[in-house]
Amino acid sequence: MTLGTLIGACGGEAVQVPDLNAEATGAYTSDLLSDVMAHCPDGAVLITVQNHTNTVAVCTLVGAPAILIVHGREIPDDMRAAAAREGIALLRTTDDQFNASLKIGRALAAGEQA
Amino acid sequence: MSAPGSQSPVAPDERPGLGESGNDPLVLLELIQRLKVRDVMTADLVTLPRDASMRQAQELMRQKKISGVPVEEKGRFFGLVSIDDIIRALVAGTIHESCGRHMTTKLVVLEDDMPLSFALRYFDRYHYGRFPVLNRDRRLVGIICQRDINRALLVELTRELQRLESVSVQRGGEGAAGSLYLLREFPICKYDFENAGKAANQIKQVLQEKKFATKVIRRIAVAAYELEINLCVHSDGGVLSWQVSSGRAEVIARDAGPGIEDVEWACRDGTSTANEWIRSLGFGAGMGLVNVRRVSDEFEITSKKGSGTTVKAVIYIEGGAA
Amino acid sequence: MTMSEVAEVLQAEVLVKGDGLLRRVGHVMASDLMSDVLLVDEEDMLLLTSLASDQVLRTAQIVGAVGVVVVNGKPLPSSMVNVANDLHMTLATSRLSKYDACVAVHAARHPL
Repeated sequence: MTLGTLIGACGGEAVQVPDLNAEATGAYTSDLLSDVMAHCPDGAVLITVQNHTNTVAVCTLVGAPAILIVHGREIPDDMRAAAAREGIALLRTTDDQFNASLKIGRALAAGEQA
Repeated sequence: MSAPGSQSPVAPDERPGLGESGNDPLVLLELIQRLKVRDVMTADLVTLPRDASMRQAQELMRQKKISGVPVEEKGRFFGLVSIDDIIRALVAGTIHESCGRHMTTKLVVLEDDMPLSFALRYFDRYHYGRFPVLNRDRRLVGIICQRDINRALLVELTRELQRLESVSVQRGGEGAAGSLYLLREFPICKYDFENAGKAANQIKQVLQEKKFATKVIRRIAVAAYELEINLCVHSDGGVLSWQVSSGRAEVIARDAGPGIEDVEWACRDGTSTANEWIRSLGFGAGMGLVNVRRVSDEFEITSKKGSGTTVKAVIYIEGGAA
Repeated sequence: MTMSEVAEVLQAEVLVKGDGLLRRVGHVMASDLMSDVLLVDEEDMLLLTSLASDQVLRTAQIVGAVGVVVVNGKPLPSSMVNVANDLHMTLATSRLSKYDACVAVHAARHPL
């Protein structure tokens, strides 16, 4: 489903979304970037607390179109700049990883049914 | 290993040395870190000068029931005559010759201000029965052997036990809420990630056994854990201690270095001096001191760059033991 | 829902039964940062994590978690099993990803 629809369905804050029509085909929840590199599927939204530029780099490598920062963590300027350069969307929520995963899960499932 | 003129080894023991198996009681570990070689060695030495004969050395060993005679003159250390050296001299017929000629000179020596834990590694590594002890000026000040260590540990442990008993008796008059009835110290080693958090886990287990309130247990355990990790990751090593008395639990972390340059900064959310390697192990997020402060009723930190740091967390326990 | 039921739902292998296997799971935490785990005040927590280290278990004990499930089918160091045994901490591994594990646990707790 498109990022635009996803954001609407799960109530995350759209911090910086270069392309609302970009497709998200799944999600991956992890705070270990080595783990993200090894297992994150292409097209997945990365749900994480890791609010720094390295996360952007890893997402570029694995083909994740968006990062959902949880626990309401602030997104620093250099991360925003890096994401803008790489064309990766930045979303934010006050939920923790568990609840954020559930909401994204629900949204994606609903999208599949549509 | 028994080359001519070498220190005579004893039969090696396959079991892990003291402080090495990970199963030793923590009070023992604390002792062997605190005690120095000079606290344990025999300083009352019987020695011979270089021109004394090997026969004289043999007599001395027999009379004094010792297994080695240091050779020294006016504190200047030259070598050691061991039983092996005597036997060799007897066999070769050189027993009348001088100690200076037949003593062992290739020696492993220990320094008097070395911690006992360090010295134990030498015992384990070299399997010698004894080591001469020199001070900073390279003067012979004593000799240390396994028997000395055993004796010293026994004495210290008894002393420690008596101290704990007397303290609890002194405070006993105040009743259950007043008495100091728990006191433990844990030595924490720098970068000892294998054991990082173990002390806090043990503290929590004791708290659970003593049936403190769940919320109180949680707060003490979190404070202890965060302080322990800090000692492990940021200090050159130190001691984590905790005690319960007069309705309060105190968790104290003390180290001797390297000291915190900006204490205010260190206590702020998300700030950390941890390097990449430490972060890759999962530590160093910079929440430690902030979290300790969060769970404590009283929080004190003193530090000076170049010297040590002390952090104290106090958690109030309502209504005595619960 | 008990830890044992969670293990079933996650098709997890229970490596250490610990004290928590039959205990009810309250809060669920899906974090890899132990510093974050230490900030949470919930009791009876289930910890879902990608991190396979002794620290996870030590942290779990400190915060009174009922159990730990390591996701992504990660092979665990043997030291982890020893530490889990020492601490009586329920430990399991699941081949599911953390995201799928979260969804599965929630679905099991709130059947439609």
